[in-house]
Amino acid sequence: MRTYQDLREFLAVLEQQGQLLRITDEVSLEPDLGAAACALTQLGEASPAIQFSNIAGYQNARVVLNVHGSWPNHALALGMDRDASPRDQFQRFVDGYSQYPGEFRRVKDAPWQEIVVEDDVNLYDLMPLFRLNRGDGGHFLDKACAVSRDPDAPDNDDVENVGIYRLQVKGPNRLGILAVPQHDIAIHLAHAERRGEDLPVAIALGTDPIVTLMAATPMLYDQLEYRMAGALQGEPYQVVATEKRLDVPWGSEYVLEGRMLAGQRELEGPFGEFPGYYSGCHRYPVIEIDRVSHRKDPIYDAVYVGRPWTEIDYLQAMTTSAPIYAQVSADFPEVSAVNALYTHGLVVIVSTKTRYGGFAKAVGLRVLTTTHGLGYAKVVIVVDDNVDPFDLKQVMWAISVKVNPDHDVMSLPNLSVNPLDPAGQPTGVANKMIIDATTPIAPDVRGDYGQELDTPQGTDEWRTRLASLIKDLR
Amino acid sequence: MSDRDPDVIARKCPRCRSTTIDTRATSPVAGVWILFACSTCLYVWRSTEPEENRDPDRYPNAFRLIPQDLAVLPILPAIQSRPGQLDAE
Repeated sequence: MRTYQDLREFLAVLEQQGQLLRITDEVSLEPDLGAAACALTQLGEASPAIQFSNIAGYQNARVVLNVHGSWPNHALALGMDRDASPRDQFQRFVDGYSQYPGEFRRVKDAPWQEIVVEDDVNLYDLMPLFRLNRGDGGHFLDKACAVSRDPDAPDNDDVENVGIYRLQVKGPNRLGILAVPQHDIAIHLAHAERRGEDLPVAIALGTDPIVTLMAATPMLYDQLEYRMAGALQGEPYQVVATEKRLDVPWGSEYVLEGRMLAGQRELEGPFGEFPGYYSGCHRYPVIEIDRVSHRKDPIYDAVYVGRPWTEIDYLQAMTTSAPIYAQVSADFPEVSAVNALYTHGLVVIVSTKTRYGGFAKAVGLRVLTTTHGLGYAKVVIVVDDNVDPFDLKQVMWAISVKVNPDHDVMSLPNLSVNPLDPAGQPTGVANKMIIDATTPIAPDVRGDYGQELDTPQGTDEWRTRLASLIKDLR
Repeated sequence: MSDRDPDVIARKCPRCRSTTIDTRATSPVAGVWILFACSTCLYVWRSTEPEENRDPDRYPNAFRLIPQDLAVLPILPAIQSRPGQLDAE
C-alpha cells in the first residue's frame, strides 16, 4: 500500500487529491478554529482537511484539522483510492489486522529533532493552543500519541503502549491526562506508582496518518501499535527512541518528553466528548514536560470533537469495527462484516450467514461479550450476509421488513457500558438490545419471505462499467 | 472604567468566580491577546474569546464550578501505594 513518512507527505497527497483546504486569511484561535472544523463535518462525507496559516497572535503557526475527517481522507490514509467504499476500507483494515505482527524499525535521526527546547519549556509559546467547544475547561492536545513502557517489563517491546488520550494543557509544562483504569497507560502508571516512581512518557503530535489510527485502535495489552502499523502498511514502521527508550514515530511534528507524576491526581475537564456530551470534571493524573522537540515551523494537528458525526467518528470507525470482527468471526466464521461506526460502537451492525433459526441472536450476544462490546455495544443489529452493514439504506430495509418485535427484539438487563454513555442507570450500567433483522429460517418459521427481489441479469457488469464512466466525468 | 472593561473582567474567574487569577501567556506577536488562568479551577480564557468564555456574568450556568466541590471530585485511576504503605485515597 502507499505509505506516508510523515504528516506533511500526507497533506501533500490530500492537496493533490483536492482534499486539503488552505485558509490564508487571518483567523482567531477562538472561536474560528473550532467553528470551522465543526462546520466542515456538516458538509457531507467528503470534507477536506483544513489548514490555517495566518493565526492571530502567531508569526508562523500552522494548524490542521479534519485530516482524517471524511471517507476519502480515511481511504487515502490507508493507501487506497479516494473513492473506496466504507465496506472496502473495513476489509482493508481487517486484512492488515490479520497480518499482525508486522515489523517496526528503529532509526537514529528524525526531522523532529531539529529544534530542542529544554530550559523553561513553555507550551503556550511553542503551540497554537485553543479551545474547541465553549464548555471545554481549557486547551487540549486531543490527537497526540502518548507512549509509555511497563516499568515492570521495561525491555518488552510488546507491552510498550501508544495511545491517544486527551491531554489538558494546565501550565507552561504541565498536562492533565484522561487515563481510566481500562487504558494500557493506566496499567503502566499503576506499576510505576507501586514502585514509588514517576512514569516516563513521550507524546508525539502531528504524526503520519496510520499511527494515529493504530493509537485509536483498542488492541490487546501485549500488542504493539507499531507492529500493527507495520502489518497494515506491509513494510517496517519507522520509529526513533528517546533517551528514556520510548519509541516515537519518525514522522512527528512535535515530541514532548516528560513524566506522569506518581501519586498525583488533579482537576481535569470538562471536554466535549465523542458521545456528544461534555465529560464533566474528575481528578486525573498529571504529566510534567521536561523537553520539547519539534520540526522547523511545526504543524499543529487537532481533531474537532462534537455531536456526531465529526472527525473523531472516522478515527474510531474501522479501528473499532475490525477488532470486534476479528473476535466474533473467530467463533462464528459465518460473520462477514461488522459496522461499529456509531459513537465508538455503542451501536453495532453485524452481517452474517445464518446456520439455523435463532443463530443471529447468538451472534448478537457474542458481540456483547467482545472486549470492546463489554463497555460499548449497547444496541446490536444483526442483518443477513447479503445486506451491507455499512449501507444504512440496506440496514433500514432489513429492519423494516424482517423484524417482528415480538420475536426479534431482545432486551438484556443491567449490563456494563462505558461511563461516558449518558443513558447509564446507574452510570456504567444499561440494558442492552439485540435486534435480529435477519430472515427467519427453520425451525424459526414465521412471516412470508418466499420471493425476495434480486437484480436483473448483468447488473454487476453494468455497475463496474458505469462506475468507471462516472469517474471519467470528473 | 466600565464593568465590561477587560481589566475588570480579568479579576475574577468566569467559571468559579475565584480571584486567584494570573496572566498565563501573551501572544508571541505582541499585543494581540492575553491568556488568563485561574489557579483554583484551572480554567483558562483568552482576552479575544467570545464574551461568554471570559465574562463572569455571561459565563453559561451549565459550566460553572463551585470551588468547594473540587476537592471531592472522583479520582481516576485510583492511586496505587508502594507495598507496605497504606492505600492512598
